[in-house]
Amino acid sequence: MRGYRIEEHPILKFRRGRVVKFRFNGVEVEGYEGESVLASLYALGYRVFSYSKTGRPRGAFCMIGKCSSCLARVNGVPNTRICIEPVRDGLVVETQSGLPEIPSETHGDVSEEEIEADAVVVGSGPAGLQAALTLAGHGLKVVLVEEHFKLGGQLVKQTHRFFGDTAYYGGVRGFRIGELLAEKVRASSNIKVLTSTRVYGFFAEGYLGAATVTGEPRHYLIKSKYTIVATGASERLALFENNDLPGVMGAGGAQTLMNEYGIRPGDRAVVVGSGNVGLIVAYQLLQAGVDVKAILELRDEIGGWFVHAAKIRRHGVPIKTRRTLLRVEGHDRVEKAVSVAVDGGYNPIPGTEEAYDVDLVLLAVGLQPSYALLGQMGAVVKHVPELGGLVPVRTWSMETSIPGVYVAGDLSGVEEATAAFLEGELAARSILEKEGLADGGRAEVLHYLWNVYRMSPVLERARRGKLSVTLSEGEMEELRRGAG
Amino acid sequence: MARRLIIVGAGVTGLMTAKFLVDRGFSDILVIDRKYPGSGGSFRCATGVRASFTSREHIKVMLRAVDLWPKLSKELGIKYSRDGYLWLLTRDRDVEFFREAVKFQNSLGVPTRLVTPEEVRELAPTINTSSVVAAVYDPIAGKASCFDSVTNTLTHLLARGVEVKWGVEARKIAREGRGFVVETNIGSLRADSVLVAAGDGSRRLLETLGVDLPIRNLPKHALVTEAFRPVFKPLIIDWATSSYIVQLFNGNFYIGADIPEVYDTVAKVKLEFLRKAARVWTSYFPWLREVYVLRYWTGYYDMTPDHHPVIGPVEGLEGVYVAAGFSGHGFMMSPAVGEALASYILGERPLVPEFERLSPGRFARGELIKEIAVFG
Ligand SMILES: Cc1cc2nc3c(=O)[nH]c(=O)nc-3n(C[C@H](O)[C@H](O)[C@H](O)COP(=O)(O)OP(=O)(O)OC[C@H]3O[C@@H](n4cnc5c(N)ncnc54)[C@H](O)[C@@H]3O)c2cc1C
Ligand SMILES: Cc1cc2nc3c(=O)[nH]c(=O)nc-3n(C[C@H](O)[C@H](O)[C@H](O)COP(=O)(O)OP(=O)(O)OC[C@H]3O[C@@H](n4cnc5c(N)ncnc54)[C@H](O)[C@@H]3O)c2cc1C
Ligand code: FES
Repeated sequence: MRGYRIEEHPILKFRRGRVVKFRFNGVEVEGYEGESVLASLYALGYRVFSYSKTGRPRGAFCMIGKCSSCLARVNGVPNTRICIEPVRDGLVVETQSGLPEIPSETHGDVSEEEIEADAVVVGSGPAGLQAALTLAGHGLKVVLVEEHFKLGGQLVKQTHRFFGDTAYYGGVRGFRIGELLAEKVRASSNIKVLTSTRVYGFFAEGYLGAATVTGEPRHYLIKSKYTIVATGASERLALFENNDLPGVMGAGGAQTLMNEYGIRPGDRAVVVGSGNVGLIVAYQLLQAGVDVKAILELRDEIGGWFVHAAKIRRHGVPIKTRRTLLRVEGHDRVEKAVSVAVDGGYNPIPGTEEAYDVDLVLLAVGLQPSYALLGQMGAVVKHVPELGGLVPVRTWSMETSIPGVYVAGDLSGVEEATAAFLEGELAARSILEKEGLADGGRAEVLHYLWNVYRMSPVLERARRGKLSVTLSEGEMEELRRGAG
Repeated sequence: MARRLIIVGAGVTGLMTAKFLVDRGFSDILVIDRKYPGSGGSFRCATGVRASFTSREHIKVMLRAVDLWPKLSKELGIKYSRDGYLWLLTRDRDVEFFREAVKFQNSLGVPTRLVTPEEVRELAPTINTSSVVAAVYDPIAGKASCFDSVTNTLTHLLARGVEVKWGVEARKIAREGRGFVVETNIGSLRADSVLVAAGDGSRRLLETLGVDLPIRNLPKHALVTEAFRPVFKPLIIDWATSSYIVQLFNGNFYIGADIPEVYDTVAKVKLEFLRKAARVWTSYFPWLREVYVLRYWTGYYDMTPDHHPVIGPVEGLEGVYVAAGFSGHGFMMSPAVGEALASYILGERPLVPEFERLSPGRFARGELIKEIAVFG
């Protein structure tokens, strides 16, 4: 098997951890401390991690624990998401085939802890990090809960320099921003950080329940006056024949592999979708040494920003508008992708097929807000196509229909990282104002967010979408009365 | 334009009734649901089917249902299997009570029997029986897919011209000439007859017609875990804690457990339920400790004072029928209930005479159903 480790990269230096040894389907394999089980296996060339009930192979798709494509048996425990399971010495990892057998081993007792805090922040992407730091900086006791074993959310995989105001990290590369904020969070004595821990629900008894997803089993019951939910978004799948074949991957999944772990996601790729994510990921694939054959775009026009598209074109990668993916082919991984032209109604035009010999198909067809937790808590949500799907209705202060529960970042409607920082800060400053700890910063953030940042023409759609779900305090009161 | 029949509620009860009617040539039916088919108790239930009850009425009605399920399964492709029910008994006094119940059930043709902890281990591999003194096994009980029961029946109905509308809430029913008008969020709908099969919404709707039935909604809790290969077949009840577990056809374990609740309050997700479900069932099946809960939801049992449903024509209001108050057993009964209601609506008497004992008028007449003891 060929290795897929990236040894040279124009921007990134990969500091790999200690070598660890574990077993995969009976074979001893190696990975590096600090990466996920799936990353280690991927680097060695493995692509199939389980088989569906009907025997179809399943590979990596999202790489952040959201899609259930990578369920494997780890130390006897079935249905483990190996993309968020840190690799360790001595692990025993086995492929699952169809429904798994029940767990063969039980581990230690679950320990439980009750935590009281002024505020809980769920999710440690830019929105959650900024919110937690702002609150803690004014003396509030904060619990920050993150289901991944690393802080930073989607920032971790962004290698480009941010645009915009230097107050919001313009000019700094995404992953660096993530590292900076994570260091600050770790250094704050007002923030209790729980990683590898998922907030799974809210109970009538007044607790948020959270539980570890890996490692030592722990259960937390968290009570707080304020909650900021910043759970981000997950990637969409596109409809085409064999779209479940290993090698079909979310753009974010590929970013995680190459930018976070320094692993080349494939040798030859087609990217579907020419929005900013599609364009950026195509460029990053080139940097990682992948031969990008084409970017396919269903619409007449390229979706993303001109600067990104121009960079791609300079590298000779064609961006093909009015074309989509018809199917992929291959035995247990992608070997070929077939695209087709579409007519005005986006229907495929027979006879226009083009085939590519590729082992990777990256989907950059949009994100949908991860609203499950807020929905379970009972927040009123609304479907807004411009924002990616169901999003909570909120006030100008980012407060949802549940008093004391705030939203920020992609969950409030998919935009991008700068908006997430701003919304996280706005939610936090609104809470500070309520607590009488305001220093006037709230009005400034509100002004910058709506009247400066979102006035950019490229954010027009998102701005419109967000306006449609933002209510005045009075309107929100009315909604609450109606809903209750 | 008035239809022949409007059915309010697209749960198993309403849909099965429509099925038995269309199969007998009755046409011009409209089914409405305030949300979507199955959204009430039907998609929330544990899917258990049994005839092992402690009243003659329940047993007779359920025996008919147990006969009908395999036929429906064949005809409509509804997954159904006689996988049995198992009541785990951990106290001697419970054994005494069940001995009586088994005798009564056997006398009416239900082949339940007491079994030893050893047999329990055969029927439920991997179970820890250290606290079990005995158990009762019902071999003709089983389970049916609630999803197939709703969706396959719906497909059957749609193919036969039955109209089904969702997002339509009945707010008021009133007499108009010889028929009825049903006021809804999409306007007035007219029909010669109306069947109220609206689960926890039935009482309030019937009140608009001046009919008061003593149905109260009790919040209930249920969860499913991740899915696994088949481990055990029967639906297992821990009698002392009033909780149960069943492995559904798609491999998930479904767990229900009673916690203190108040009638007619909004059902809410409670830590107390998860704690109890986990405590009881991880001690019987220790491997459950490593299993994730995928979903937890609430629902209502529509309870009557005698824990038996209210089924049939409403006395004094010709053309109005009701099927509600199932008290937690409406899924298993639905084929027999659908068949009986079809008979009523076609002007006949139900095949199983015990249905007549479940009439809405029984409360006013003080003819409540008696059980040999309250059970289940
Ligand atoms: C694939 C991809 C590529 C992107 N590329 C760019 C780009 O190039 N430039 C740009 O500006 N923006 C980009 N974005 C968008 C930008 O990264 C996001 O807008 C921003 O990260 C959103 O921040 P957030 O804090 O709302 O969510 P996220 O960064 O997604 O963080 C949410 C966090 O919440 C955690 N979480 C979720 N649910 C729970 C729970 N129940 N309990 C505990 N933790 C939970 C998640 O693990 C995650 O870490 C991209 C986004 C994605 C997905
Ligand atoms: C947790 C739980 C476990 C259960 N387990 C079992 C079991 O194992 N076995 C068993 O037999 N039973 C069980 N039950 C009970 C069973 O689910 C119900 O008795 C059965 O589903 C009743 O079916 P139905 O069609 O009468 O009512 P429902 O399925 O509740 O359907 C009624 C429908 O009417 C609609 N509706 C209500 N009001 C209006 C209105 N005003 N206008 C329009 N539409 C309206 C609702 O939206 C709903 O879809 C369980 C119930 C719960 C909650
Ligand atoms: S959950 Fe692991 S790849 Fe998506």
